[in-house]
Amino acid sequence: MRAPVYNSAIPQLILNTVNRATRLALLGIFPLFFLLIAVVLGLVMAASATDWSGPEEQLARKIAAATGPGAVAVTVGNRSSLGRRDQEVIQNGLLSALERLGVRFVPAEQAAATVIISLSENAASYVWVAQIHQGTGEGAVVMVSAARPEGSVAARDSMPLTLNRILLWSQEDPILDVAVLQESPAPTHIAVLDPDKISLYRMQSGKWQQEQVLPIVHARPWPRDPRGRLISSRDHLFDVFLPGVICRSAATLPLTLNCHESDDPWPLTGGMQNGVASSAFPGGGSSSVPAGADASGASRPPMKGFFAPTRNFFTGALTPAIGKFTTAPKFYSAAPLPRDKYTLWLFASTDDQVHLIDGVSDQTAKLGWGSDLTSVKTSCGAGWQVLATAPANDVGDFVRAYEFPDRDPVAVSAALEFAGPVTALWTESRSDSAVVVSRSLETGSYEAFRLALSCSQ
Amino acid sequence: MKLFVWRCLAASSLLIAALAATAETRPQYGSTLRVAMHATPTSLDPADATQPDSFARRSLTMLTFDTLVTIDENGRLTSSLATSCQATEGNQHWQIRLRHGVKFHDGTPLTAEAVVASLRAANPSWKVSADGDSVIIELESADPELPAELALPRNAIVKRINGGQASGTGPFHVSDWQPGKKLILAAEEMYWRGRPFFDVIEIEMGKSERDQMIALESGRADLVELGAEQVHRVSLEGRRLASSSPVELLALVFAREVQSPDERLLRDALALSLDRGSIRSVLLQGAGQPAGGLLPTWISGYEFVFPVEADLPQARREREQAQNAAAWTLGYDSNDSLARLIAERITLNAKDAGLSLRLTPAATSDVRLMRIALTSVDPWIALANVAGAMGVAVTNRGGSVQGGSIEDLYAAEQAVLATQRVIPLVHLPASYAASPSLKNWTVRPDGSLNLADAWIGSGKP
Repeated sequence: MRAPVYNSAIPQLILNTVNRATRLALLGIFPLFFLLIAVVLGLVMAASATDWSGPEEQLARKIAAATGPGAVAVTVGNRSSLGRRDQEVIQNGLLSALERLGVRFVPAEQAAATVIISLSENAASYVWVAQIHQGTGEGAVVMVSAARPEGSVAARDSMPLTLNRILLWSQEDPILDVAVLQESPAPTHIAVLDPDKISLYRMQSGKWQQEQVLPIVHARPWPRDPRGRLISSRDHLFDVFLPGVICRSAATLPLTLNCHESDDPWPLTGGMQNGVASSAFPGGGSSSVPAGADASGASRPPMKGFFAPTRNFFTGALTPAIGKFTTAPKFYSAAPLPRDKYTLWLFASTDDQVHLIDGVSDQTAKLGWGSDLTSVKTSCGAGWQVLATAPANDVGDFVRAYEFPDRDPVAVSAALEFAGPVTALWTESRSDSAVVVSRSLETGSYEAFRLALSCSQ
Repeated sequence: MKLFVWRCLAASSLLIAALAATAETRPQYGSTLRVAMHATPTSLDPADATQPDSFARRSLTMLTFDTLVTIDENGRLTSSLATSCQATEGNQHWQIRLRHGVKFHDGTPLTAEAVVASLRAANPSWKVSADGDSVIIELESADPELPAELALPRNAIVKRINGGQASGTGPFHVSDWQPGKKLILAAEEMYWRGRPFFDVIEIEMGKSERDQMIALESGRADLVELGAEQVHRVSLEGRRLASSSPVELLALVFAREVQSPDERLLRDALALSLDRGSIRSVLLQGAGQPAGGLLPTWISGYEFVFPVEADLPQARREREQAQNAAAWTLGYDSNDSLARLIAERITLNAKDAGLSLRLTPAATSDVRLMRIALTSVDPWIALANVAGAMGVAVTNRGGSVQGGSIEDLYAAEQAVLATQRVIPLVHLPASYAASPSLKNWTVRPDGSLNLADAWIGSGKP
C-alpha cells in the first residue's frame, strides 16, 4: 500500500536566484579551483538528472500568459515526494523559463502579481500547480502534469567469520535461483531461474548480455509462493526443480530444456557431484568437498526431499533416510552439518521450529530464525556453518552464520542485512557458497547474491 | 487511422512478483481467516446495482472474482484476465485479448463469450462482442480510461448461472452463503495465480464497529473494520492497523439544484461556516484530511487549491445579503453514529453564520451528509463517480465524458463544485485492524482488502 504524501509546503521566496552562483563566482568570491570542482560535479549530477525542461517551459508559458511580462513575486513549495535536489533543479528551471518570457522577480509588495507554485503529485504523475493572484480580482490556477521518471558490502566486526556477498543478478520478475555456470574468477556465465523461464547471461566487455531464454512449460498453475532450484550438472548443463515439475537441459548447444511433470525429490544439498570451483571471494575458503561426502570424505548418496507440488514446502519424506528417520516434519528448508561419524540435519519446519535430526533423535528448538536456512563448507572454524534468515519483521531481512558445537547455535558472523525479505536461500553446487535472493522493499526488484564466508581471524 | 496501443504486462511471473516476498518467514498454508464487517450485502453479483457500493463489497468481489485488468496504487494498469488491450479509432474501439487456461469455479473455461455476457450485464450501453479469444468493445465516444473502467470491481467477470448464482475465477469460491449474514469462502485449488494460503475465509456481516472490536479483542475475529474516529485510539493500544489513502468523501449534498440567487448565497454561507479542522481533530480524532475538493490530492494532485478554512465573517455577510432564508433539513444515516455527531457539529457551525439547519434521520431532506466511496485511482473515473452520486454529469472541455489534461480535470471538478450541489468536508481512509497472527494483508488503493496473499502465522518463531 502506498501512503499518501502530504508534505507541508516549504515556501521559499525567490528573488533572482537563478544566476546567483554564477555571479558570485564571477565576482571572485569562489576560488577558481572550487568553481571547477563545482562545475564538474554539476555536470556529473546533471548527466544523471531527469529532464524537467518540458513541463517547466509549459508551466512557465501558462503563468506568463496569465501575468504577462513584468514584476511578479514567485514562491515555490514542494508538496510531493520530490527530493530537495530535484526541487531546486525544477525551481531554477521554472524561474529561468519565466525570465526568458519577460517575467521579473520582485518582492511581493512591489509585484503586480503573486504566483504560488506548488510541486505536487497524484498517483500517476507529478502535478505542478501555479496559483496566480493579480490585484483584487479572482485568482487563476494553471497546472501541468509531469511524468515520473522510470524507475556489497562486507560486514566486519569481532566475529570470527565474515559473511560476504556479491550481486549476481537483479530483475523485476521473481528470481527463484541463480546458478553460476562459469567464473574466472568472478562469474562470467550465469543462469537465472524465474517462474516462467531460465535466462542465460554471459559477461561480455564488462556487461551482462542475454544469451538465451528457455521457457518453462508447465500445465498446473504454480503455488502462490513459488520456489525452485537450479542445479549444475556435470554431464549436462543443469537440472531445474520446480513444484511438480522437473526440467533437464540439453548437453550440447543449442541449449534446449525438457520439462515434465514429476514428483521426484529435490536435492537438499549442493547438487553437482565433485563440483570444484575457485572461490570468487579472496580468502573465502574454497572447497572441493563433494556434496555427497561427510567430513571423513566417505561417499554417500545425496540427500533428497519430496516437495509438495501445490505448496511451498517439502512434505518431509526423505531419501535416503537419516538413520532411522525416513521422514521429517514438513519443512521449508534443510541444512546438513557433517560430523565425524554422522551428519546432523537441520530442518526449518512449517511450525516455525528447527528440528535437529542426527539419525537417532529428533530434537526441536525455537531458535528465532526465519524459514530459510542452508549450510556451507568453509576452511574456517568448525568447517561447516549454517546460514539462516531472520524471523519476520517489518523492515528488511538478514542472513547470519552459525555453528553448532553441540545442539545450540553460536553466531559466528555479523548479520548481513538485505533491503527486503529473503525469498530464497540455497547452497550452490560447490557447497562452499550459497545463493540468496532478496526482494528490495525500496525498488521492488529481486536481487540475487552469492554469499560466502571468509575467515576474519 | 491512428493506432494507439496499450498493452498490459502479460508475463504471468509479474503477477506472482508481489506475492511471495512480503514476509521473512515463508507463508503458511492452511487456517481459517475470520472477518467481521458492517455491511450486509444480499447479493454477491458485482454488477448488481441494487447493492450499495462499499469497501466491504469491493473486498468480497475481489475474493471471488477477477477483473480483466487491475490498477495499482500508482495508477498503473496491470494484466489480470486480459493479457493485452488495444485501442483504435481514437479510443473508441477496444480489443481485449484474454488469458488462456483460466477456469470459472464451476469448471468451465473462461471464454470470450462468457466475458461478453458479463460485461454486457454490467454495462448495458456498451457494444461488446466476441472475436476468437478476444473481446471487442465499441464505444459511442472515445474513452481512454476504458482499461481503468474495466479494473472496477463492478466489471469483474462473472458467469451467471440459472437461479441467480454467480461463478467467478477468483482465488476463493463460495462454500456457504447466507445473504446479509454470513459468507464462507473456500480456497480455489487451481486458481490461475496460485492457490491462496488460507483454506477458508469466514465473513460475519452486519456487525457494528463496537461488536467488531470486541470480536477482535476476544479472538473471535482476525480482521475487522475500523471507523476513522477509532484509528487513533486503537493505534495507541498497539494493534496492527492498516489504512488506505483517503478514498471516501464525506460531504454535504443538496437534493436539488440552486433555485435562486438567494439560495446560492446561503449555500456559499454554509460552506464558509464549516469548521473542517475541528471536525477532523475532535470528531475524527485526527483521521482524514479536510476536503475542499471532490478528489483528494493523491488522486488529483491539486486539491490544496480549494479553500478549506472557515470564514465566519464572510459567511455572515453572505447570509445577510440573502433576502429569504428558509430553514433546511439536514439528513444523515441514522445507523452511522459518527454521521450524527458531524451533522450536529455542522448545525452549530451554520447557526454561528445565522443559518438554520434541522437534523433529520429521514431519507429525504434538503441537504444530506453523505459518505461517497471513490471507486478508482483514475481521477476521471473517480470524479465521474463522485459527481454521479449527487446527480451531476462530468464533461471535459472537449465535451467528452472522460479523459483530458490535468487542467481539463481541474476545470471539470471546478464545474461540479460551481453547481453548489455539494460541499466537501473531509476525505477519509478505509481502515482495518487485525490480530498479530495475520500476515501479509494489505489494503488496496480503492479501500478494499487484499487477502489473496495473506496467511495466518503462529506469531512465534
